[in-house]
Amino acid sequence: MSSGKAASVVTRQVRPILSLSHDDSRRRVLALYKAWYRQIPHIVTEFDIPKNTKQCQQKLREEFLKHKDVKDIRVIDMLVIKGQMELKETVTKWKQVGHVMAYWKDSVNKKPDDFLGKFLDGKD
Amino acid sequence: MLRAPLQKALSLPNLRQLSPALRGISSTPVQLEKIEVFVDDKPVLVEPGTTVLQAAAMVGVEIPRFCYHERLAVAGNCRMCLVEVEKSPKPVAACAMPVMKGWRIKTNSDMTKKAREGVMEFLLVNHPLDCPICDQGGECDLQDQSMAFGSDRSRFTDIQFDGKRAVEDKDVGPLIKTVMTRCIHCTRCIRFASEVAGVDDLGTTGRGSDMQIGTYVEKFFLSELSGNVIDLCPVGALTSKPYAFTARPWETRKTESVDVMDALGSNIVVSTRTGEVLRILPRLNEDVNEEWISDKSRFSCDGLKRQRLVAPMLKNENGELVTVEWEDALVGVGRALLRAGEKSAAVAGGLADAEALVALKDLLNRLGSEALCTEHTFPQDGSGTDLRSSYLLNNKIAGIEDADLILLIGTNPRYEAPLLNARIRKTWIHKECDVALLGPKVDLSYDYEHLGDDTTTLKKLASGQHPFNKKLSAAKKPMIILGGQQFGRQDAAAILAAVQQLSQSLSSSINDKEWKILNVLQQVASQVAALDIGYKAGVSAIREDPPQVLVLLGADEGTITRADLPKDCFVVYIGKLSVTLNLLPGHHGDQGASMADAILPGATYTEKQGTYVNTEGRTQQTLAAVTPPGMARVDWKIIRALSEVLGESLPYDNLNGIRQRLTEIAPHLTRYGSAEDANYFVQAVELSKTVKAQLASTPLDVKLKELQDFFMTDAISRASPTMAKCVQAVLKQKTSKY
Repeated sequence: MSSGKAASVVTRQVRPILSLSHDDSRRRVLALYKAWYRQIPHIVTEFDIPKNTKQCQQKLREEFLKHKDVKDIRVIDMLVIKGQMELKETVTKWKQVGHVMAYWKDSVNKKPDDFLGKFLDGKD
Repeated sequence: MLRAPLQKALSLPNLRQLSPALRGISSTPVQLEKIEVFVDDKPVLVEPGTTVLQAAAMVGVEIPRFCYHERLAVAGNCRMCLVEVEKSPKPVAACAMPVMKGWRIKTNSDMTKKAREGVMEFLLVNHPLDCPICDQGGECDLQDQSMAFGSDRSRFTDIQFDGKRAVEDKDVGPLIKTVMTRCIHCTRCIRFASEVAGVDDLGTTGRGSDMQIGTYVEKFFLSELSGNVIDLCPVGALTSKPYAFTARPWETRKTESVDVMDALGSNIVVSTRTGEVLRILPRLNEDVNEEWISDKSRFSCDGLKRQRLVAPMLKNENGELVTVEWEDALVGVGRALLRAGEKSAAVAGGLADAEALVALKDLLNRLGSEALCTEHTFPQDGSGTDLRSSYLLNNKIAGIEDADLILLIGTNPRYEAPLLNARIRKTWIHKECDVALLGPKVDLSYDYEHLGDDTTTLKKLASGQHPFNKKLSAAKKPMIILGGQQFGRQDAAAILAAVQQLSQSLSSSINDKEWKILNVLQQVASQVAALDIGYKAGVSAIREDPPQVLVLLGADEGTITRADLPKDCFVVYIGKLSVTLNLLPGHHGDQGASMADAILPGATYTEKQGTYVNTEGRTQQTLAAVTPPGMARVDWKIIRALSEVLGESLPYDNLNGIRQRLTEIAPHLTRYGSAEDANYFVQAVELSKTVKAQLASTPLDVKLKELQDFFMTDAISRASPTMAKCVQAVLKQKTSKY
């Protein structure tokens, strides 16, 4: 009994990646969002993509909202780091048009999930 | 080898009757005290008369063998099974030697090993070193055993002078390729032919190193079971001709499945490579096919690739069938079905699986139609198909071995269900069992009492006035097998009623209350499932009330023709290919060509996971070995897709879903492997008394009388070039002087 209680008291200490609190991580996310947001008009002019600023802003929002339910600070930090990497790759033009357009997944065909679609596709 | 002629003599009928004492031994088991022997110092209690090999098998020691086979007589000539027995000066042949009390058998001693090595060396002296070009390579007993038990070096140096024994190859027909130099004279093929197949064509000539296995004269080895000698041959002497140089066993993928060529549902293994069925082998199932399959099951698989429908087709305004996309085909058929509504009907063919049958019935019922029929008929008078006992082989296939008198009515089991016939023959040879046949005189491969083919004989039998009734009522376990083909007659109801009444009159005199007498041998694989699901047997309902849309679910027999249908009737065909469609390029399109207005390509039994119920009521399933060719789809999915286009979506969209539906309709349809018993025999007989129909005077007849009739009977075997060659071979043999 006592050992069980002791075990429940001890919480696992993990090393933080960047942020020490939720407020901290929230600040980083917002900073990243703003950085991207400010960069979008430049991206649209720099890259020859068939998208306008509005559409890119919409996509940005979409990409961030994809992870809206992530609560783990370490995961959030990691996503922020990856987001910054993406931004840097875009700004420095390490990315090419196709890489930027990949956010819209235009060339990916959606797999059918209903019976008739699968039947016509010939796939189960 | 010397024992093979003796075995043959023993199976001859005159000798059988001369020695009733000999026959009695096996049918009356005498309980004797068990004796103890030691195999590799492990004690085991065995019945007296057990051979050394069987005793060793009981403790899990497998003794190498070539000539010995569980289902054949013991020959004892290969000597590979020599083992040492303590205090015996010479090694003994384990397959033929019965154990004695207290024997200590050593299966791994130096003497045993040396004996095996010696035998192996002698066998290999006269066996060619052609494993790289031998079809048996990889599944060869000689190869495996020489690796395990042979010597690691050779003393054979004579290759420059005398060389190895060479034997002329024999031409034994289109199915079996012979390379007789590879033969090690195990005589399994001879014993199989004379004991199981009942065709005494194979034998040996010469002695010693001059011994040869062959047919004595230039003759084909033609039997409905001939392919099994390929499996039996431990070396590459007898291999499959259609499969020659095709694949190695380690390259192929094996799928366990069920055969649909006859109503028995033999268990098979389908070997495939690169999406192609290469060959079919038997799978062990003691209750159905033991370890044999018929030649049609084994060799007709090349018919799965030929004359296939690979794309949906619709008739255009010129009346020509043109290839279309699935969307168009479904919409076209759906429109016709919607217009017809309750004026739609369906005919299910002999190869349809239960899933497709259920989906089709659900769909048409939703449209308000009840006109779902099977191609093969069954009388609707009396109890009709309501009582399952009327259309099943109630004694089960394995039950034949307990019967002491079998009466065959209007059937030729040898070609309608070769493995059922092999069972009857096995019982006839090994047990006290007599067979009588009412129907045309045919060669059943065993002797029987022929009662003629007259319906009056049946009438007399039913009323107990025939001399044969005495034998029937004296029998302890009589069995009556009625051929399903007789249901196609006008007086089918009267025939069934007569047989039911005869069976019932006998049941009162037998002691075993579990023993059923009435058995029906169905003709096709789908019939029992179709009747269980609630299809009407026979297409008379469609003839009487011609529909506006007719769906043919693999119905290839041409029971319904354009002449039976109104001019504007829309015919949909779902399946592999109908021979009646005459789609072949260059074929002059006649009435048959205009039969279908829409064609939806379906899958064959190797391409879908389908449920089949065999004639004894055993549910089994096929597994998908390959994918359907081209745009072909699994049958029940076509119907399901059609239902969605109609706006009447069926409530299942995967295999589990439709299996659930099968279980709802009849739970036994998903109890795979088990045979559901039928009941209500008495009630069926009571109802049969209400049958008004009278027996017609036309004699009982069967379609499959001789071997050439056997090979091509359905859409798959008719498309098979190998089967066509078999028919040619049989006809050629007929003209031969032997």
